[in-house]
Amino acid sequence: MSTQVLETKQKIYTIALAGQPNTGKSTIFNRLTGANQHVGNWPGKTVEKKEGAYKYDGGSYKIVDLPGTYSLTANSLEEIITRDFIIKEEPDVVVVVVDASQLEGDKEIIEVMKDSLGQVKWNTVERITGENGSGALIVADSRYKWIQKILTSAVKRPDREKTLAMRSKFDRVATHPIWGKFIALGVIIIALMGAMIIGFPLSMGVMSGLMPMAIGGANTLLASAPAWLNSMFTDGIIVGVGVATAMFVFLMAVFIVIGFLEDVGYMPRLAYVFDRSMHRMGLHGKSFMPFMMSLTCNIAGVLGARVIDSWRQRLITMIMGPIIPCMAMWGVVSFIGILFFGVNAPLIVVALLIVMVFHLFLTSFLLRRFVVKGEQTGLIMDLPPYHKPNFKTIWEYTWTHGKAFLKRGFTLIAVVSFFVWLLSYLPNGNIETSFLASTGKFLNPIGKLMGFDWRLMVALVAAVASKEAALASLAIIYGIGQGASSITGAIFASGIYEHAALGSILTQAITPAAALAFIFAFFFSIPCLGTVGVIYSETKSLKWTVGASAYYTVSSLIAGILAYNVGLLIF
Amino acid sequence: MAPLSTLGNGEVGVVQEITGGYGFISRISATGFTPDIEVTMVRNWKRGPVIVFLRDTQLALGRGEASKIMVRRKEI
Repeated sequence: MSTQVLETKQKIYTIALAGQPNTGKSTIFNRLTGANQHVGNWPGKTVEKKEGAYKYDGGSYKIVDLPGTYSLTANSLEEIITRDFIIKEEPDVVVVVVDASQLEGDKEIIEVMKDSLGQVKWNTVERITGENGSGALIVADSRYKWIQKILTSAVKRPDREKTLAMRSKFDRVATHPIWGKFIALGVIIIALMGAMIIGFPLSMGVMSGLMPMAIGGANTLLASAPAWLNSMFTDGIIVGVGVATAMFVFLMAVFIVIGFLEDVGYMPRLAYVFDRSMHRMGLHGKSFMPFMMSLTCNIAGVLGARVIDSWRQRLITMIMGPIIPCMAMWGVVSFIGILFFGVNAPLIVVALLIVMVFHLFLTSFLLRRFVVKGEQTGLIMDLPPYHKPNFKTIWEYTWTHGKAFLKRGFTLIAVVSFFVWLLSYLPNGNIETSFLASTGKFLNPIGKLMGFDWRLMVALVAAVASKEAALASLAIIYGIGQGASSITGAIFASGIYEHAALGSILTQAITPAAALAFIFAFFFSIPCLGTVGVIYSETKSLKWTVGASAYYTVSSLIAGILAYNVGLLIF
Repeated sequence: MAPLSTLGNGEVGVVQEITGGYGFISRISATGFTPDIEVTMVRNWKRGPVIVFLRDTQLALGRGEASKIMVRRKEI
């Protein structure tokens, strides 16, 4: 690692650290500032802003760690922020941190040249580029020539042919249109399994280890308190926070695995191999991984869309991701599917997946045609050499994404779970006559179109809090959940209701056509509110968040109504 | 002159012209594509994206992107 320092203006007050991602900017930043730093977001942006201060030799210095960028053209959010900061805030010193092993690719150095030329000379350059059609190319060309000149005199490098050969051994297979896909599927399966192997014990530890302890403790403490207070803590607050915590540890496991793939350099190969398939949906390869992450948890998928550099495509990917079912959904789908359709349940799954693919294509088409118009940008992506995993960077990836969930998703899940409890408890502590039941009865006209009674509608509404809540709420409403007074409470108390008992009641109460409708409406329903919250914090747009939620809800109802009518024909 | 997307595996081309809008030229030149630069085709499967090598870096380009870059084949 080497640094290039360039002084501008008279006195040093503000120092900005710039450079490509993963070159060691943050290491230098942390060394200089120690604990004396402030981490926030750039105003109105989702990009992290790190500021710090330190004293040296009697002078005080403010240090700003700029986002990692490849150039200063406004091609991405990070680049716009870095460029605006350098232009508008006029830092006294801009330190460009570069990776000595990848010097020529570093565009930041050239941007510094802009400063060193001085305003007058730079104006001339800008005038020439303005008059010339391919000005950007000429400028880029002269920048590269300048870099090359410096490099040839300063750096000794390995033979070019040798580097090419070194990179192509594994890559020849990994980027093959057929074998590459096999490797990719293998990697994905191992990655998803890895995420589950790490994530499940952790979240089960929270669910069946910590939660019952906390609930038991609260029960003892509140033994003499009024029943509503006891229920508020044990069924409302503790359960809400517990669900959110269990989700958080699971998400962290997903991010560790994805961060690992990212860090060793495999991820861009995945985007390359699936680029052509994604093109059919009007997207490019970089959207593939967010979709895969959505299979574990839709929140992971929305946050994973950060790898996409074009905002338009990132937005489309974030809206489309939640159409893909998360793992929590399969439990509900398989329970009801096997209960009603037995050996034919796999057919239902195939039907769901076919509808899902159609839904993805339709959504992408609608978005591109009517909502986010603009030129489709194709794949332009660095394929870095593979390297050994660096656990610090993997952790950094994990924590940045985990933190994004904590900020909005965590609170929202906890708060919404609490509200679901509130609705199911008020006004008199009996769920059958609660506000939640009234909501279900109020929505009954819509439910009728799918052959639902109000109970199924309540389950669909409760699933908005978390997908796991759907079965639990059915158990409670049909009166099998003895001992659990609330839906949220029943999520944890897996021993409280017998699946068999719930099954026999459901088969009596619901027709197969309604069950089919429920599966489809549930499968395509609005994602849990944690996902909705993260869509909001990633887009910073209420319009997008509400619009997407309404879209999911409408498409879920359409899927349910269609499934019901098809079901009526079959059964 | 031929589009970069027509080079076979291992062939080397010299960039002659880059067509397309300003946004594309800005993005592509930031990755190192400039006139007269030598580009080695690493992977081209006749469909789907290609992989090229230039300026010490391996890049994946969509087929559409690669066909906007005009090159002169270099005999090796």
